[in-house]
Amino acid sequence: MSAARGQTGGRRERAAPPRRPAAAARPDLALVVPSETHFLVLIKELTKRMAEAAGFAAGVPDRVALAVDEAATNVIEHAYHGATDRTFEVRYENRDGTFQVEVVDTGAMVDPRAMPRVDLDRYVTERRTGGLGVHLMEKIMDSVTFQRSARRNVCRLVKRKD
Amino acid sequence: MSELNVETREVGEITLLYPRGFINAHTVRHFEDEIRKALNTKHFKLVVNCEGLTYIASAGLGAMMGAIEEIRGNGGDLRLAALNETVRNIFEILGFHHLYRIFPSEVEAIRSFRDGEGAPS
Repeated sequence: MSAARGQTGGRRERAAPPRRPAAAARPDLALVVPSETHFLVLIKELTKRMAEAAGFAAGVPDRVALAVDEAATNVIEHAYHGATDRTFEVRYENRDGTFQVEVVDTGAMVDPRAMPRVDLDRYVTERRTGGLGVHLMEKIMDSVTFQRSARRNVCRLVKRKD
Repeated sequence: MSELNVETREVGEITLLYPRGFINAHTVRHFEDEIRKALNTKHFKLVVNCEGLTYIASAGLGAMMGAIEEIRGNGGDLRLAALNETVRNIFEILGFHHLYRIFPSEVEAIRSFRDGEGAPS
């Protein structure tokens, strides 16, 4: 292609388009999901396939899929309080060293740091059942962050490939 | 496609639950209902045979946690059998294998009740 352009009357060869800055990189895949628990299994299966494609060893894609399932469940149950007429976005980015999933909603601000830390003894004696999802996410992923920006909640889950 | 089917049967005073499919926030109510049915009929010795369970999220673990005090407070226990590797791994990530007795097979879980073995301390 470039050789052909070079033969057209001495015009300057067209410069290659600038590379998109890494910080503004588009996700490899973005999915808009209705806020219905019915779709959680779809998210789990898709996440597993994406993690497998990213090259993780056997077993890891299942765990990453669970972490993302938990993040999506939190959106439906806490940010949207179970409302089924909303949507949220799941965005996948596979980079050289990391696999990143963002779960983005426009619901109520949920501060996971306000959730009680998991203490298994207290879970038994106090019959507590909350907070397990965040605990699982943190155990499975290398990084789990929550951000509130422009009326959106962004839960970012990162797994290193090393 | 049936996402979760839970069959039950009784062997003496032991109630066996057979979840088939997956337990997450979408299906957990069905699992909770089956546990609740057993408790409402004063059956506090439960074995969850996980042979057909492909996946469990925190909602399912929470369902068990929500019932365990009542179960043990009535002299019973909830024991697990035949976990596949994925499900076992999830239990281990959370440390639930310290809270629940897990057996390779349903037969061994039933035997543990008959031998009078207690819940984890």
